[in-house]
Amino acid sequence: MSASTALGEGVYDVFARKKRGEPLRHVGYVDAPGDALAKVYAWKTYDEESWFEMCVVPRRAVLPVNRHDGPWGKKSDR
Amino acid sequence: MNPDSDFTKIADTWILNEAVKLVPRHIVTLADTKRILGIRYSDWLLGSPSIETGIAASSMAQDEWGHARLLYSMVKHFDMIPWELEYMRRSKDYCSAPAVDEPFGDWAAFVAAAVVVDGALTTALEAFGGARFEPARARIPKMLAEEEYHWQFGEAWFRQLAGAKGDGADRLRAAAQAMLPTTLGWLLPEDELYRLLAHDLLVWNPGQVRARYEGRVGELLGLVEINLDHVIPMRGDWDAERRRGSGAPGEDAVERARGDRNRSLLADVD
Repeated sequence: MSASTALGEGVYDVFARKKRGEPLRHVGYVDAPGDALAKVYAWKTYDEESWFEMCVVPRRAVLPVNRHDGPWGKKSDR
Repeated sequence: MNPDSDFTKIADTWILNEAVKLVPRHIVTLADTKRILGIRYSDWLLGSPSIETGIAASSMAQDEWGHARLLYSMVKHFDMIPWELEYMRRSKDYCSAPAVDEPFGDWAAFVAAAVVVDGALTTALEAFGGARFEPARARIPKMLAEEEYHWQFGEAWFRQLAGAKGDGADRLRAAAQAMLPTTLGWLLPEDELYRLLAHDLLVWNPGQVRARYEGRVGELLGLVEINLDHVIPMRGDWDAERRRGSGAPGEDAVERARGDRNRSLLADVD
């Protein structure tokens, strides 16, 4: 499966925390054609909690350190 | 001017006697537009360009419906019954913006409405929540915070389609051009009733509203070569009671809004 779709979308991983001081945790991903829509999609998709903070990271920006066979390494698997 | 005789106190706000009956009209035009816009958004829960887009459309529809419910509830301050507004009216009684009378024909129309119509609605909310009526000042800021995501969605998609190859930009331009004249007419009603509301500082004056709207949508519309200064507001067959021109949303949309089909099941239960 390709990391981008026919719409020119890329994968963005979503991180969030419920309280100040908590570590950000990975809550899921969205496919989006750009940063602006990735933020909206993340906020509207993962709205089951009242998040203190949420951010998205384009998967292409993640640099694997020790493993290159997982989703973060291949940048393709959801 | 004698404050005791010229003003009536409504929900901690002293309102000119002549303006008291006009506030409910203003509330209902905002609520009805949100209700019908929510229906139009909900049509695209399935069939929008991606799953994420459909989820966002669903969330936006829920927001609009929640905001409509909060707005309708404000008419209680004027001895009106919100339930009657929500469930007892026909489409010909609706005060919604004409641009959402019909379903969106394609995704470009959805995106155009998210900018042109939702942008106008947000501007109208700012003009009401930033004025003197206390319940609006209390409730509208949270709506505006939720609307911020609608704007980000509309803006990002508008830029996406405006820069797309193929006929995306042409369809977007056509949809925006079709919606703008009546939407400007709805946002800036040139009638005495609105002037009285503005005079009593219950809404912003039309010049302030127009400037705010231009600041919000002007640059985006420029991407598809639309100059807002060249758009002539359309107010044909103005209906002062409904604060809009002629026409109405389809009866089917209003039946869906009222939930007629499913409520009738409950009516059969003793």
